[in-house]
Amino acid sequence: MSRDPLVVGNVIGDILDPFVKSATLRLLYNNKEVMNGSELKPSAVVNEPRVEIRGRDTRATLYTLVMVDPDAPSPSNPTKREHLHWLVTDIPETANASYGNEIVPYESPRPTAGIHRFVFVLFRQSVRQTIYAPGWRQNFNSRDFAALYNLGAPVAAMYFNCQRENGCGGRRYL
Amino acid sequence: MEELWKDISLNASPPPLDRHPVYHGRQADCFLRLPSMVLQDFLAGPLNRPLYPPQAAAKEPSLPPLETALSLNSAKEFLGEADQQANTQSNSSSNNTNGNVSISCDFSAVPPRPAALFSLCSRKRSTTETHPGGADRHQKRMIKNRESAARSRARKQASHAYTIELEMEVSHLQEENAKLKKQNEEASGNEECVDGVLSFTGPIECASVPERGQAICRLRRYEKS
Repeated sequence: MSRDPLVVGNVIGDILDPFVKSATLRLLYNNKEVMNGSELKPSAVVNEPRVEIRGRDTRATLYTLVMVDPDAPSPSNPTKREHLHWLVTDIPETANASYGNEIVPYESPRPTAGIHRFVFVLFRQSVRQTIYAPGWRQNFNSRDFAALYNLGAPVAAMYFNCQRENGCGGRRYL
Repeated sequence: MEELWKDISLNASPPPLDRHPVYHGRQADCFLRLPSMVLQDFLAGPLNRPLYPPQAAAKEPSLPPLETALSLNSAKEFLGEADQQANTQSNSSSNNTNGNVSISCDFSAVPPRPAALFSLCSRKRSTTETHPGGADRHQKRMIKNRESAARSRARKQASHAYTIELEMEVSHLQEENAKLKKQNEEASGNEECVDGVLSFTGPIECASVPERGQAICRLRRYEKS
């Protein structure tokens, strides 16, 4: 029984295939580090986080970061899985994401129904490549995206939970 | 519960709302709750409602006409055989008061009405046929609830797993810290033995809680000066 929060939280399975972690990804919202599987409020994640990447290579490697919501519009009815919140490419190692190429601007998580997972996936780029923004944010597929741009398996991933700031969102009708 | 059911079927009239019987298969449910029905369904009107108690009423008058139809059949075609079948099958059927009813199921000519009588004990099937929305909705709700509970457990497990890993790392780091501190003390402890014994003549400057290393340095400085 794996104790990795990514496996237990079903991130590996729903969005990603099992991979070997080969880089450390640190995310800081308001200078507070995000713990894998923790819960954050929407008010805490309004602005984009600071990203710190540490890889094995000390050479100038570039990374691509994807942030998706696999539980859109609600975890029991994820018809819009995955909703793309952020896409940054060409991030140099040890530098912040602001040094990269923000292909899809950061969208603040605003879950209306249920408790959503927000997943960050980090890919290592072999070359500096042009990645095009998808036409729309919803129904994004991380697996297909990685295959399309030959990014290979992810090198790191992390997720946090987020639900409505107040209240429950009202009754849901079947 | 059983007495109430008998009471209702004997009366053969729809009971008042607050005396609706419990769903046959779900004894644990709340006595007063309308099974397989949500408020919207109830408000949709009397025709929308599942027919379970009135079905009991409907069944009672249907027995006599069936009886006559059967007797006609048996009189016409299967005179001797019908009697023999009645004798054998009346022992096996425990659901019916009328032994002839069991025979009727074998004849394709007879309408399937008697099949409803068998389902006296299986409320769910008949209710589903007459009112498909109600039972399905309940089942869907149950499935969704189960999924939600599973997700909730997964979330709990994930955070628990992370906490355990953090604790392990904390204990590991604490051990490492203690080990390193010990090494540090031992390393500087050797120097102290050499210097302290030879040169300790005067008072030692003591801060409130001096680090051993610092005290040793002062000792040495004192000696040198």
